[in-house]
Amino acid sequence: MAAEDARYRQTSQYQMWSFSPTQLAAMRENTNAAARTRIAERLASLPAASNTTSAPTSSVNTPDPEGASISALPEFLSAPEEAQLMNFYTLELLRAGDHAEMPDEIKATAAAFFRRFYVTNSIMTYPPQEMLIVALFFACKAEGSFISITEFGKQFGKDNPEDILAGEFLLCQGLRFAIDVKHPFRALRGAVMELSTLPDIERNRLVAAEHRAREILRFSALMTDAYFHYTPSQIMLAALSLADRGVAERLITQTFHYVAPPFTSNNNSGSETPATSGPDAPSSNTKRNAAPRSSNNSGEDKSQIIGSHIRDKVLGTIEACRDLLSKELPERREHWTNKTVIKAQITPLRKKLTKCRDPDRWNLVELQRVRREQATKKGGGSDDGEPDDRTLESDAAVFGEALPVPPKRRKVGATDGGGGPGEGKGDPFGGPL
Amino acid sequence: MSRRAPPGARTAAAASSGSTSSSALAAINTEDMCPVCKTIRYLNKDMEFLINPECYHSMCSNCVNRLFNDGPNQCPYAGCHRTLRRKGFRSAFFGDLAVEREVDIRRRVAAVFNQVEDDFETLRDYNNYLQMVEDLTFDLVSGTDAQRRAAEATLQQWEAEHKADIERNRKAGKEADEQSRRRLAAEREAARQRRFEALREAEEEKRERARSREEELDSLAQGEAGAAGGAQRVQLKKRGQAAASRAVEAAVKSDVAAADVGRLSIRGLKEKKKAPPPDGPYDPFGGLDFMPSRYKLRPGLTHPGVEKYKVDPAHITGGYNFDEYAARAMFEAFAGLGVFIEDEKEVGIGLSAGEVATMSAGIAAVGDKMELD
Repeated sequence: MAAEDARYRQTSQYQMWSFSPTQLAAMRENTNAAARTRIAERLASLPAASNTTSAPTSSVNTPDPEGASISALPEFLSAPEEAQLMNFYTLELLRAGDHAEMPDEIKATAAAFFRRFYVTNSIMTYPPQEMLIVALFFACKAEGSFISITEFGKQFGKDNPEDILAGEFLLCQGLRFAIDVKHPFRALRGAVMELSTLPDIERNRLVAAEHRAREILRFSALMTDAYFHYTPSQIMLAALSLADRGVAERLITQTFHYVAPPFTSNNNSGSETPATSGPDAPSSNTKRNAAPRSSNNSGEDKSQIIGSHIRDKVLGTIEACRDLLSKELPERREHWTNKTVIKAQITPLRKKLTKCRDPDRWNLVELQRVRREQATKKGGGSDDGEPDDRTLESDAAVFGEALPVPPKRRKVGATDGGGGPGEGKGDPFGGPL
Repeated sequence: MSRRAPPGARTAAAASSGSTSSSALAAINTEDMCPVCKTIRYLNKDMEFLINPECYHSMCSNCVNRLFNDGPNQCPYAGCHRTLRRKGFRSAFFGDLAVEREVDIRRRVAAVFNQVEDDFETLRDYNNYLQMVEDLTFDLVSGTDAQRRAAEATLQQWEAEHKADIERNRKAGKEADEQSRRRLAAEREAARQRRFEALREAEEEKRERARSREEELDSLAQGEAGAAGGAQRVQLKKRGQAAASRAVEAAVKSDVAAADVGRLSIRGLKEKKKAPPPDGPYDPFGGLDFMPSRYKLRPGLTHPGVEKYKVDPAHITGGYNFDEYAARAMFEAFAGLGVFIEDEKEVGIGLSAGEVATMSAGIAAVGDKMELD
């Protein structure tokens, strides 16, 4: 196993946030189904006050005789619809990042956060419009650029920092506290470094390819699920291949150049990098790297790492990634910002969303306040039967016991709906016996 | 009334004036009077109380002789129907017989449950074992009848089942005791030797000092200041030498002593413990290899994007290493190139392409199982 791959396998991106397409689809289906049942429960348990929330929506829509009656459940978003909205909001996020003039890494991290968060949480549960700001803010921190919350809020017209901070811990939980996102940007530079040492590639071609590949990485890789399905280097090569197929393939063939020697075991007879030993002068640096490798790597190992059949496999993977990226080429940006497209495709979904969203969790600030209240109450009231269970369950949820994270159930008392949230949960012993 | 008043007054006075007399009276009742024959110590100066660990009822030795000389007999205490033998009687070590009893029980339990930590796989197992033993002991000491019987049964069962182990541990414990005793003795001997040495040293130094002082006086008497200075210097030097040589000697001696003591203790340890499995030097990266295997770090690697920083004083002065940047960029360009997430997440790491291809039919089934990351 190649040392680089072993190191990549240590990352949280690989261990917690890499899925095969079928797995990811199944998880999204699960999330969607779970959100449906929970929201349905909550909407049903809402008292008559729910009329206030359903009234404006029914006035927007054609008057529905059943909708007007007490609690007909709204039409929920399906998983594909959620995915479409997801893309729309990812673009919103990227635009917001552009608006705030953030560097690519931060925008990309934020987009990755945002998409990861909505793998295990439904768009119907938490408001995407708020969460994308939260993701941007948290990405700034994750990438080491610390700006003050008030300053940040001003850029997005949010005067109250609490609006942003309310969702922060929630986001972290949704990310399962894996806040290191590996990006392909620097990898692209590495590839260019390697390629620029090759004599047969012109400088201008390389510059153009890099420019285009970077464009693709800034948009396509973030708008698709590439971060879930491929490693940064694969994404980078796929983008490079979209930009200039010849250059990408040149790099791959040059990397996986090893040809197994025919039945001789003397693998260390100067066989390291036979194809490309031309341009580099033997320096102490290369010597140091080469010596242990040629001594302790058997030929079989080498064919595992840089042999031809692994090359074919890498090529296949990159081809698949390329297909995925080509679905959202940078030119599609216009498509997502096109007014008519939005009107035709996104607006109906958003309307649907306003109707079927989670009544408890839609308002992040309120949610945060209630949770805090519960936490302090939990700390104060000693004779409450549940809290221990609850913390255990939430721990399991955070560290990935079961994947559609079961959000902590909050008791929605019958008296709770209208006014004071305090009175509904005032009874420390739970419900009446 | 008036006649009765004085005694009452007197007792009150006695109680108020000295609590010592009343407590002495009580002491006579509990400690100095045999509860069986009511003899008090006053009448029999060398009265001795004995107990039998069957029931821990104390009585004086005369009573014991009187009652049990002719073979087993019932305990004379009212309500105690245990049959006691002469042989079982002994004098109590603790004044409080409850403590005496607990200590007896603990001794007995400890003789049976004498496993040591090394007998267990993990510390947790050992702690669980200790907990179990303590629970059992507590049941024996202060449990209800049923609990006591159950604990007793457990104890006997354990004894029967683990006879060999117990015997072995007992021997090992004895040996360990012996060894620690020897070590202690050796240490004590070494300490004694050291003290003796120190004493001798002090003596010698004193003599030395007296001698040098005499010399000094002599030289002063001769009236040669320079000579006196020289003598003093010589003497100082000598003293320093003596101190140095003493230090060296002491170091050697202590070394020897330490080696002696250390050897003893190490031998003891070795016999008790199995040698730990040899683990190599500590690897902070958990076996990760940092040698690039797909690419080579050449000195000339650079990117047009970083060129401008190479002449930027803000970067150069801070010691920014552009080779490090190149190394990192190269690493990221090639890291994970051979990581095939789709295969690995569904089937597992390290399967070759051919295998995966043949298994692809079964992926759906396996994938379901591994779905939750």
